[in-house]
Amino acid sequence: MTDVAPRFDELIHPATRLQLVAALAAADWAEFAFLRDRLGLSDSALSKQLSALEEAGYVATDRVLDAGRRRVRARLTSAGREALAGHLAALQELLAGT
Amino acid sequence: MSISPDEARAALAAAETGRRAVADEVGLPAWYWWGLGACWIALGTIGDLGTWWLTSVATLVFGAVHSWVFGRVADGRRRTSLVTVSREVAGRRTMLNVWFLLLAMIVVGAGFALLIAADGARHPGTIASVLPAAIIVAGGPRLVRWSAGS
Repeated sequence: MTDVAPRFDELIHPATRLQLVAALAAADWAEFAFLRDRLGLSDSALSKQLSALEEAGYVATDRVLDAGRRRVRARLTSAGREALAGHLAALQELLAGT
Repeated sequence: MSISPDEARAALAAAETGRRAVADEVGLPAWYWWGLGACWIALGTIGDLGTWWLTSVATLVFGAVHSWVFGRVADGRRRTSLVTVSREVAGRRTMLNVWFLLLAMIVVGAGFALLIAADGARHPGTIASVLPAAIIVAGGPRLVRWSAGS
């Protein structure tokens, strides 16, 4: 993250969304159920957050069939990774200046 | 966008919480450790039978199956089927450290078997295999977590 240009991103700044994006940044992909349980969100809250991030091009979701069950997997896109890196760099820069 | 230092700290903490939720998933599936421990004892028992060809075949089969399984799970990124941890978060040392653990257990098992054989035990292979198997089941998951720095 040393070469990342600091840039605040209002879309991912809310705590819940930032947690979600940071979790996805640490994974290649994660299932809906995993994110819901680990981040302590309801189904509808997580769906809403994922939809907002997907609309911005930060997250991509896939529906996969696993043992007869349809599962939703989410992953962070390269735009999402750049946004997170820039936002974290901006936050760190702000703190470094205080 | 105007953010106060306290808000910035809270945001960084939130990001760390999210990252940690995934980082805590670094590890190998439980079935790998239990299966490896069981196979270890089975190999010790087969060795005690004293049938050289059976011991050789069992060792070769175990080696082939283990190397196939190991190549798929030893990077620590797929402990569960719910998430695949990124390579950066899982760390590069995980697979290497699991290898070192297995090599160390071979040495410990062989040394222990020689000791109890010298003491006149009737089934040194079986008895000696229990120690490394227990270390693998109990210590393997901890080693991987330590490797990943969680």
